[in-house]
Amino acid sequence: MSSKLHVPNSKSKSDSLGAGRESRNLEPGTSNLEPQGRSLWGDAWKQLRRRRLAMACLWIVGLYTVMALYGEGVYRWSRFKDQTPPYQQQNLEAQYQSPRLWSRHPMGTDGLGRDVLQRLVQGTRIAFQVGIITSLIAIPIGVILGCIAGYFGGRVDDFIVWLYSTFASIPGLLFILAIAMVVGKGLLGVYLGIGLTTWVGLCRLIRGEVIKHKTRPYVLAARALGLGHTRIIFRHILPNIFHIVIVTFTLRFPSAISTEVFMSFLGIGVQGEPSWGIMISNARLRLWHGVWWEMAFVTLAIFGIVLAFNLLGDALRDALDPRLRTSET
Amino acid sequence: MLRYILRRVLQMIPTVFGVILITFILFNVVGGSPAAMTLGRHVTPRALEEFDEQRGFNKPLLMGWWTPTRAYDQESFIRNAGPWRQMDGVSFEPAADEEQPGKLVLEGGREYALPLAFSLKPATTYRVAVEYRMSSKAIMDVVVAQNGATQEVVAVPFSKDWKKVSAVFQTLEKTESLRVGLRVAGGSVEVRRVELRRRMTHPFDSQLLFYLRQLARLDFGTSSSLNQPVSRLMLKGAGPSLMLTVPIFFAEIMISVALALLCAFFRDRWIDRLFVVVSVALMSINYLVWIVVGQYLMGFKWGWFPVWGFASWRFLTLPILVGVISGLGVNVRFYRTIMLDEMYKDYVRTAFAKGVSRSGVLFRHVLKNAMIPIVTNVVVAIPFLYTGSLLLESFFGIPGLGYLGVNAVNSSDVDVVRAEVFIGAVLFVIANLVTDICYAWLDPRVKLE
Repeated sequence: MSSKLHVPNSKSKSDSLGAGRESRNLEPGTSNLEPQGRSLWGDAWKQLRRRRLAMACLWIVGLYTVMALYGEGVYRWSRFKDQTPPYQQQNLEAQYQSPRLWSRHPMGTDGLGRDVLQRLVQGTRIAFQVGIITSLIAIPIGVILGCIAGYFGGRVDDFIVWLYSTFASIPGLLFILAIAMVVGKGLLGVYLGIGLTTWVGLCRLIRGEVIKHKTRPYVLAARALGLGHTRIIFRHILPNIFHIVIVTFTLRFPSAISTEVFMSFLGIGVQGEPSWGIMISNARLRLWHGVWWEMAFVTLAIFGIVLAFNLLGDALRDALDPRLRTSET
Repeated sequence: MLRYILRRVLQMIPTVFGVILITFILFNVVGGSPAAMTLGRHVTPRALEEFDEQRGFNKPLLMGWWTPTRAYDQESFIRNAGPWRQMDGVSFEPAADEEQPGKLVLEGGREYALPLAFSLKPATTYRVAVEYRMSSKAIMDVVVAQNGATQEVVAVPFSKDWKKVSAVFQTLEKTESLRVGLRVAGGSVEVRRVELRRRMTHPFDSQLLFYLRQLARLDFGTSSSLNQPVSRLMLKGAGPSLMLTVPIFFAEIMISVALALLCAFFRDRWIDRLFVVVSVALMSINYLVWIVVGQYLMGFKWGWFPVWGFASWRFLTLPILVGVISGLGVNVRFYRTIMLDEMYKDYVRTAFAKGVSRSGVLFRHVLKNAMIPIVTNVVVAIPFLYTGSLLLESFFGIPGLGYLGVNAVNSSDVDVVRAEVFIGAVLFVIANLVTDICYAWLDPRVKLE
């Protein structure tokens, strides 16, 4: 929240429909030409370090990552030992215990006496799995198709533009649910549903950037040297536009998490494991009997991670690509 | 202008075609027949076949002469002899690897009728194919008998190695008495694969053609869970959905544009900063939380509104409220960005310079020009009104399209989901077309070439 400079924002939803981005001809990282030679990444990191809020978000994301890893560890360990994992252990004598900080259940227990904190940690694990795996599906599709379309142009470009405009025209959540229905209930359906539908935005951005870069002198020089197309695309152009991928990753992570919460809540997502959506679905009815803690802690957990990623994404965007800056305080 | 419109309409065609293709690939190629999933496990093959017949799933996918039939669909034998196991003289030999198909051993001196689950279609051509291996001196014939008389006998050539043979036959008007059999004499015969295929009237009589024909008739099939035509269900659901989404839509635009203007007016003062912080926070609260907490507080605890049902306007108030609030964060931020973009244009500076008041500039100049991106955003959002809000409808019990869709996904009702996906996509394409035409009409900067 530092820069007072409001750069006119050329990125808006309206222009995402076409490739018309003529207003962005400011060069990024012109500072590269300065003798001391700071890299774009170093520069961005420095900017990020200066923003206290962004650093706080980074810490929060780190904390959640540790939680997710711990959850993964607990899950693996109980699978390995072949015993009921602690987050599934029922204790009917300890139903609905309200949260007390220094007790066995700092966040209380649910209707079957299961520890809310343990389940919350498992929910974090699932959320991270969904965020990462869907990114591993969507980002390569978007990057590769975008690069190919932008670089080769012509028929290939027409085909890829047709492909993504078709995907973009199908209502999002319904499409995700339809894919999950066809694949079958469970995490695989969630991964494929979210992964196969959310590559369009990235593909569009990458294609636009590649079109701009392919006539730059450095690309022409690489061509004159006789380098292959693959090498030019992935070794020369892609590193120059990779910041888009990073920013997209940061901003799509929270939306993937939210979608997973939806799907699990509707009973189409995770089966038989605690996920945030399932916890909300369980806590929903208990809330009416005054059992507020499960609902409250899950809500807080989702709020924290989504907020941290959203703010971090904005900060990263400002730091990495000044032209995409949201005119914000 | 007319040429522009025409060209734009022509551009729409490939996208619609793409949507048809994607829905076809998703539901027919990847999904396959949902018959078993919808009808349950304990159902006769005949019911499955009827389900497939009604929805065209018993045809080849893209093209081809031959299609399998559920009357006999166990083509190879994994772990057991399947429908052959009750027959005298048949024994099953599993493969060395349990997962690999084993083989049947047919004793000599008997006739083995193909165990059909139901009688075949009348007056249709079928083909039966057998992959076999014979012991020495064995003789085998494929025998087709109808109406008590043997109609066709195909002698199978002797072979010690695996060999495939097929026989084509035509069924008569009545097929109850049809028998397709393997007559074995002499030694024994080993069989590892038996196929029965139905011949289509022409090779393009496929699932794709069936789907295209359905769409051309605007027939979206029959819901398998509700047993009603999908088009009727959709028409019935559109009303409640629109009653929910249209008020949300307008309230949302008005409130968020007003707040965005307020932000632009007090830019960089505490009120603007407060709004920005609040809208980022609002964005991060999950939709579900709004629904659950809204139902709990306003529906249950304070008892202001009913929680579930669709009887009067009061049932709509709470979902509308939740819908508006949950979208507010994103929208205020978005519109504020648009307004601030406009604030740096030259004409704004000119207006300030000639002494127009702050509010005058904001309302008379900025708002007018900011309308272009706002309108685009708004028009493109219109088709999504029709799907309603999946979550709001299913949690407030509003019988709209979203409710229908969520239930259909839960009960794997393919026809309903496919129709909603398809119509949603087509409406989106049309809305895009309308936006572009309006643009070309209103904004002289848009090039018509």
